[in-house]
Amino acid sequence: MTSIVSQALWIYFYITLIGLIAIAVYGIVVRPNLLKKIIALSILGDTANTFIIFLGFRRGGAAVPIIPTIKPTLEELLWFKETAVDPLPQCLVITAIVINMSVTAFLIALAIQLYRLYGTLDVRKAVRLRG
Amino acid sequence: MVISKVRPRSEIIIGLGVALLLVLTLFAVIAGATGFTPKEDIRPLAKFYLYYAINWYEKKFWAASPEAVNSMVWDYRGYDTLYETSVFFLAIIGAIAVFRIPGVKDVFSKGILSGRGLSLIVKTITKLVIAFVLIVSIAIAVHGNLTPGGGFQAGSAISIATLLAIAAFSRIFLEERKITTKLMLPIRVLGVLGIGLLALGPALIALSGIMSFVIQNQPKPWADWGFIPGVGPFWLSGNQFFYNFFEFVAVGAGFTVIYLIFSIPELIYKRVLKK
Amino acid sequence: MIEATLIAEILLAFSLTLALIFAYLAIRERDLIKAIVFSALQSVAFAYAYYLLFAPDIVLAYIAVGVGIYSILLIYGVSKTERYEEV
Repeated sequence: MTSIVSQALWIYFYITLIGLIAIAVYGIVVRPNLLKKIIALSILGDTANTFIIFLGFRRGGAAVPIIPTIKPTLEELLWFKETAVDPLPQCLVITAIVINMSVTAFLIALAIQLYRLYGTLDVRKAVRLRG
Repeated sequence: MVISKVRPRSEIIIGLGVALLLVLTLFAVIAGATGFTPKEDIRPLAKFYLYYAINWYEKKFWAASPEAVNSMVWDYRGYDTLYETSVFFLAIIGAIAVFRIPGVKDVFSKGILSGRGLSLIVKTITKLVIAFVLIVSIAIAVHGNLTPGGGFQAGSAISIATLLAIAAFSRIFLEERKITTKLMLPIRVLGVLGIGLLALGPALIALSGIMSFVIQNQPKPWADWGFIPGVGPFWLSGNQFFYNFFEFVAVGAGFTVIYLIFSIPELIYKRVLKK
Repeated sequence: MIEATLIAEILLAFSLTLALIFAYLAIRERDLIKAIVFSALQSVAFAYAYYLLFAPDIVLAYIAVGVGIYSILLIYGVSKTERYEEV
């Protein structure tokens, strides 16, 4: 019984994440305002990061990938190996979050500069302006 | 300007394509084609990393850090982090270059930005909170190899202190304390330089004939050389402590520069661009 | 009898649903300041999901970035440009 509920929940998680990606892609493609596009892009990046963390998760009584002592015994190490979640996706995501942030800052700077020069953030208007 | 309400055909095609992609992805995920659904077990590679991260009994592959994520970031997957640090460095340089307009100074005298500011209570509490944030972020950075945290986290946390200072006081408050882009840019370069030197140091040792590789931390079976894992009561995890510290400096200073150039009033740009 | 892991999964479903709702509101909202606030709330929901997925490192980085830095940079962007989106 529990496992069926759990399985349904896991499928629900993936549906939610794909829904988030759909919303983000809608925002990037359809919305005209550049800052709104940047918000949608960040949602897309966060969702992709969540997907990556899901890859390293472990069901049923997992633990954080950190040992609380500096000198663990062999039994503790074996227990750690059998319970902790995968640290590799987490490592990739930590760097990805900060890099995303700096790239977003660059994009916001570009948007502000575009507004200074053209006086609009609407891509439909900006495309028609020349010079 | 009138903007037509009718969607062009290309947008419809993009929408249909995205919808098709999403449905196919969902189908693949539910069918288990990606090997996705977390199971009770993890991949053998992850088990290898978890088992050897701080294994005192088989030291041949260890990273000397009880925090598996940190040993991932700075030891097992060090190249990845190095390149991402360079992406970070270049993105912030890009933002600065876009904002660089001749005639706009980024240091002001008191006259331009004068104002009464917020009340005394807010200012006092903000000062306390800033002190708290500084202490916590330094603690996150230097304990990064033992507890959750590290250079990236601490760098983004300490930049919140700058943000609070700009919000509650003004840029003047920071400039009086010599926190300007002129100071923060060299500090950032120093942080990145420290990371680069730490990564390339072992390669320089390899020139003298001892086997070693770039971003090496602990001795490996094919490279019998490594950093000291700890000095006395201080557990450094080889060079991971220093990597965390330099990354902290680089990320914190980088975000501070971004805030400083974003907080220049738009009025000044308008005045310069009109000429 | 409900197991502890199932409770964690239900909480995870809750936080992801919240993230979905806030993301939808953030994209639909025409006032950009409100959209930024919804986006920050979505970040909080994601941070809670990361906590439930046993990733404390990511929570530390993500709270600072998603709620603090990112919102403030976008608010700077809005204050230097325009507040309302025309559709």
